[in-house]
Amino acid sequence: MYFRDVVKRGSRSLRASKLRTLLTALAIAVGAFVLSLTLAASNGLHDYTGKLISNNFDPSELIVGRDKTIGSGSAAGSDPQEYDDSISTVSVGAKSSVQVKRITEAEAEGLRQKPYVEKVRENFQITIRYITREGQKKYTGGAEPYNPSQKPELGAGAVPSGGDIKTGSVLLPEVYVKLLGFQNDQDAIGKTIQVDIQQPFSTESLKALLTSNQTAAQLANSEAVKAKDQVFSYTIAAVTKKTATSLAIGVEPIRISSTDAREVYDFSAKGTTDYNKYLFVSVQVKDGADAAKLNAAEDNLRSEGFYVQSSKDLQKTITQFVNILTIMVGVFGFITVIASVFGIVNTQYISVLERTREIGLMKALGMARGEISQLFMIEATWIGLLGGALGSIAGIVTGIALNPYLTKKLDLGAGNSLLIYRPLQMALLIAALMLVATIAGLLPARKAAKLDPIEALRTE
Amino acid sequence: MIKVKDVSKVYGKKEGMFTALENINLTIPDGATLAIVGKSGSGKSTLMHVMSGLDHITAGSIIIDGKELAKLKPKAMDRFRATEMSFIFQSFFIEPNQSCYQNVMLPLEIAQVPRKKRREMVKDALLDVELESKIDTDASKLSGGQKQRLAIARAIVNKPSLIFADEPTGNLDSATGDKIMDLLFELNKTLGSTLIIVTHDHDLAARCKMQVRIKDGKIESMKGFK
Repeated sequence: MYFRDVVKRGSRSLRASKLRTLLTALAIAVGAFVLSLTLAASNGLHDYTGKLISNNFDPSELIVGRDKTIGSGSAAGSDPQEYDDSISTVSVGAKSSVQVKRITEAEAEGLRQKPYVEKVRENFQITIRYITREGQKKYTGGAEPYNPSQKPELGAGAVPSGGDIKTGSVLLPEVYVKLLGFQNDQDAIGKTIQVDIQQPFSTESLKALLTSNQTAAQLANSEAVKAKDQVFSYTIAAVTKKTATSLAIGVEPIRISSTDAREVYDFSAKGTTDYNKYLFVSVQVKDGADAAKLNAAEDNLRSEGFYVQSSKDLQKTITQFVNILTIMVGVFGFITVIASVFGIVNTQYISVLERTREIGLMKALGMARGEISQLFMIEATWIGLLGGALGSIAGIVTGIALNPYLTKKLDLGAGNSLLIYRPLQMALLIAALMLVATIAGLLPARKAAKLDPIEALRTE
Repeated sequence: MIKVKDVSKVYGKKEGMFTALENINLTIPDGATLAIVGKSGSGKSTLMHVMSGLDHITAGSIIIDGKELAKLKPKAMDRFRATEMSFIFQSFFIEPNQSCYQNVMLPLEIAQVPRKKRREMVKDALLDVELESKIDTDASKLSGGQKQRLAIARAIVNKPSLIFADEPTGNLDSATGDKIMDLLFELNKTLGSTLIIVTHDHDLAARCKMQVRIKDGKIESMKGFK
């Protein structure tokens, strides 16, 4: 018998008992459904983390720090470390804090001198008192230097396609637009906002006071003992929307140019013990898109005792999480498939028993053992195909139906889906299920092949 | 030509031993009609099974067209059966939920007849049994006599040189049975295939040119042999 005839004959026998075929296939379909959802969710999460990384980090940039929490992405060790000036306490949550060894400006400067370094951005911690505008109320907020690798979604205005924004300009988060009395996003462009920064009372100011030869009474009323503050004015270059892939926590900060950030930082932190010490700096590697150059830079920095994290490392940390979840759900799907295997074995056994006569006749007419067993295995393959296809289709339909809801519920942001189906993956899944079904059909097929035609054809 | 030489068939061993056939000798020329008669349990079915190669013999030899069946490898035996032999059974053994076309095509599929030739061959065979109008009808819709005619079409579609019929009229009323027998003998004449009928029907047996009566696994009497 030609293989094609075997396939056709197999499908005809299945069509002859439609309900049974369908029910057996449904068992596999459940497994296929779970597995297809798992794959789709894993695709979606991988895509999402990929976007998260690429929207927040420049792949040619390395995060460089002095503390091992930077390199490993995990919490600091429980062992005390040797103290030096650069260590500071960072609070984590309400009750705990960790000591983090920071990178100093001198070290950052050293990094700038390295031949493979394009640029070094310090991670300024800027504390601002309030943001306001003439005739408006004052609002709290944060500020950070503009990071060209973060692609903000703009409500109005524009940012340069590469490099820093202009000195004196600011990117204003959309939440402030109405608060500061603008009509809409477009209305805010080109207008000015005021940011008030407080200067802490530093050892420098104390020195100045002590050497000023004033009496205590004079000092008490002096302006010098009050905390100083200064208002910085910026022109709004663009209004930013909070993107789903932003890693900012809480209210989105305003973004200023790195020169302005430096100025503000100097004003607000000079003279404090924390001045010119950073949790990390971002080092842009020359031609860092080239993996070899990036790796060489990483190795060099590590050899000098820095802790380094690339955007790939970050992605790995996140995807590892996703992978564990995927495997867990996948195991359930796999178990379902195994259960359905017994369904196929059972159905095919019954089919062999029911078709004893047919098998006997085919053998008497000269059909070889191998062809008989092939026929029954092909039938199982067909069941696998049917089940796989039904499950995958159900999965895809579920994806189409649930995606809008899930995107909203999980706050993934427009354009991002949790369930992403890939045709090749689905095809491979169905092929794998067909293989599993065929293997399940092996035992009944062997029974059919071994059948004695004389016994089978005996007329009672 | 079929030569059956000193054929014995024994089932089981020692105390449970049962001799189904003992020293059978027959020579059947091409195109002959042979009836194997005997009571049930006499060994007539076993004789048919060993002659068709479905069952193995314990001693002796069966030679068909110069080929000794016992020496054929399983594959060659399957091929031989697929191209040279066919069967008609008392209970028809047709697939009720397949069309007449599908039923008759089975031997052609097994013998790997090229796809293009099949429909023509099936049509010819159905024409011979006067079922040409039912080609695409489901076999379940046929009457008993039509079913057996369909089985005959299946048996002749591949133009085999040897047709075995096991009680072909056993499940039919006598009028329909007579018609089936007329058809079988006519096809024997037109196609020239050797027809071997296993039956306990004396009228049917009498219509065959050669007859052999089996009793307790031995030949009791022979008629029409040279």
